[in-house]
This record gives sequence, C-alpha cells and structure tokens, in this order.
Amino acid sequence: MERRRSPRGECETMNHGMKENILRLVRIGLGLVFLYAGIIKIIDPVAFAGSLAAYKIMPYALNYLVAAVLPWIEAVCGLLLVIGYRVRAASFIVIAMNMVFIAALGSTIIRGLDVDCGCFRQGGEKTPAWMAILRDVLFLAAAFLLVRQRGGTDAAKEISS
Amino acid sequence: MNLKKLMAEMGAIILIAGAFGLIWNRGMLYDVWSGKQGSMSSPPSISAGQGDIPMPAGLMQVKEMFDRKEAVLVDARDDLVFGREHIKGAVPMPVGLFDRRIADFTAKVPLSAAVVVYCSGYGCHDSMTIGKKLMARGYRQVFIYEGGYPEWKDAGLPVESAKQ
Repeated sequence: MERRRSPRGECETMNHGMKENILRLVRIGLGLVFLYAGIIKIIDPVAFAGSLAAYKIMPYALNYLVAAVLPWIEAVCGLLLVIGYRVRAASFIVIAMNMVFIAALGSTIIRGLDVDCGCFRQGGEKTPAWMAILRDVLFLAAAFLLVRQRGGTDAAKEISS
Repeated sequence: MNLKKLMAEMGAIILIAGAFGLIWNRGMLYDVWSGKQGSMSSPPSISAGQGDIPMPAGLMQVKEMFDRKEAVLVDARDDLVFGREHIKGAVPMPVGLFDRRIADFTAKVPLSAAVVVYCSGYGCHDSMTIGKKLMARGYRQVFIYEGGYPEWKDAGLPVESAKQ
C-alpha cells in the first residue's frame, strides 16, 4: 500500500534539510576561518609571538611556545571542521580557544592596552579589541551551534541503536 | 558520545597539532631557549623589494646591527619621551613630525641603508607606521624592532638621554 506523506511531514523534512544545510555552511565557514587564521600564523610565528607579547600576560619565552603551538591547533581544528571529521571535539576546542581569546582581549581593555589582536595577519593595521571580541563571540556561537547539533545527532543515534 | 571519548579525542587533537607545532618551530624555540631569538633572519639574507611591509627584527638581531653599526636606529616615540632616554645614537622621528623631518633624514641617510624603527614595545604601532612611511620614501631595508625601547633597556644595552 502506498504511504503518502502529509504536507506537515514534507514541511518538516524540508525544514530539517534546510537546517542541515545551514549547519553544514556554519561548520565549513568556521573551519575555513580557523584554517586561515592558523596557516597565516604558522607562516610567521615570530610576528605572532610579538602580538602575544603585546598582551603582557605571559613571560617572554612562553609567548614563543604558544606562538609555535596554538596556530597548529587552530589549523587542525579548522581542517577537521571543514572535512567534517571529529566535529564535536574540534568544536569544543574552538570554544575553549575563543573563551581564552575573549578573556585576553577583555583584559587589554581593562588594563588600557592599545594592542593589535593578532588574530589573523600580523602587523599592519590593527583591529580594535572590542571588534575582535565581537568577532570571537560570533565564532563562539557558531561552535556552540555545532556542538548542540552534533550532540543531538549523537544522542538520537544512541537511542535508535 | 560519552565524555571520556570526547575528552580523549580533544586531547589527541591538541597533542598531535601541538607536536607538529613544536617540530615545525624547533629552530625558533631553540633560539629563544638559548637567548638568540631574532638572529635566524639576519639582515643580509633579506633581499630588497620584498613588498611594502617592514620586516620584524628581534633584540639580538638589532643588537648585532647596532654593534656592527650596520643600521640607523629611528625612535618613533614623541620628542619628550625621546629626550628622557632613548637607544644610543637613535634619531627622533615621531609620527606627527615625519613630514617635517624626513627631508633632513633622507639627506643624511642613504636609501640603501638599513633602518631599524622602534617605539615603546610590542603594544606600540608607531614604529610600523614610520617603517611603512620610510619604505614609501624608497628605503628598502626597514626593520621594526617590536620589543622596542623597554626590551632594549631591560637587556642592559646602551641608552642615552638627549641632555647627554
């Protein structure tokens, strides 16, 4: 017997499809941003160390250690998000990184430091801290969206299995 | 997905990426550890005409150029701060007075000379502004000493006041 889907069911399917597409776009977009941010810093770690030192948070040598490691974590997380592999773990790392970035940027505002955020290209025109915070909040929201979506999907799979 | 598995995945991502970073930057980290940061890109290796962005220079690199008298140091801080103390032999060139002082500077310093611009350390961007302006005026070897005056002084390197 032919089963006919109700208009409401079709609408739900369409909505579900659209939601999936939007989330895919968010995942790939966020991934590309982090991949770009990572690669551009990997190319010039000394300049990134300089940007980190401007925050006056860490001792001299630690700025270089973070400049050596952090861009690679950004790039790897970005790549994982783009290819859609281990998305939830990568999203959680992105959330953690963004929270640290926001805290560091916030501290520069409180301490009255006029620094370049060092988020993407090093040197040149600087991005004001408040603008960088806004941008990071946006990334944070996108990563939370991915975590929630992935969490929901995983939970649904566990229930159905 | 259970929490343990998620944490394990996150740990694995951070460890693998971190290991890549450490291996990739082992030279820079070794230089920092042994106190030679900045010496890995000495000025002669930088060819002219690499765009209009000045090159960053570390403390040791600037010290080498200073010791060998290979570069002209330019202080981008304002005259009052410069007058109190500055790197020995530096030329005062605040952003606001660039247009007024550049003719005199160009008359004394040839365009082929290496120029190191500094200001009040990593948080200061005037050195980059002056560096770009100098490159626009035809200087080909312009370096930005990002550590600036505070790092130089902390390292116990030669400084002088304008009254001396």
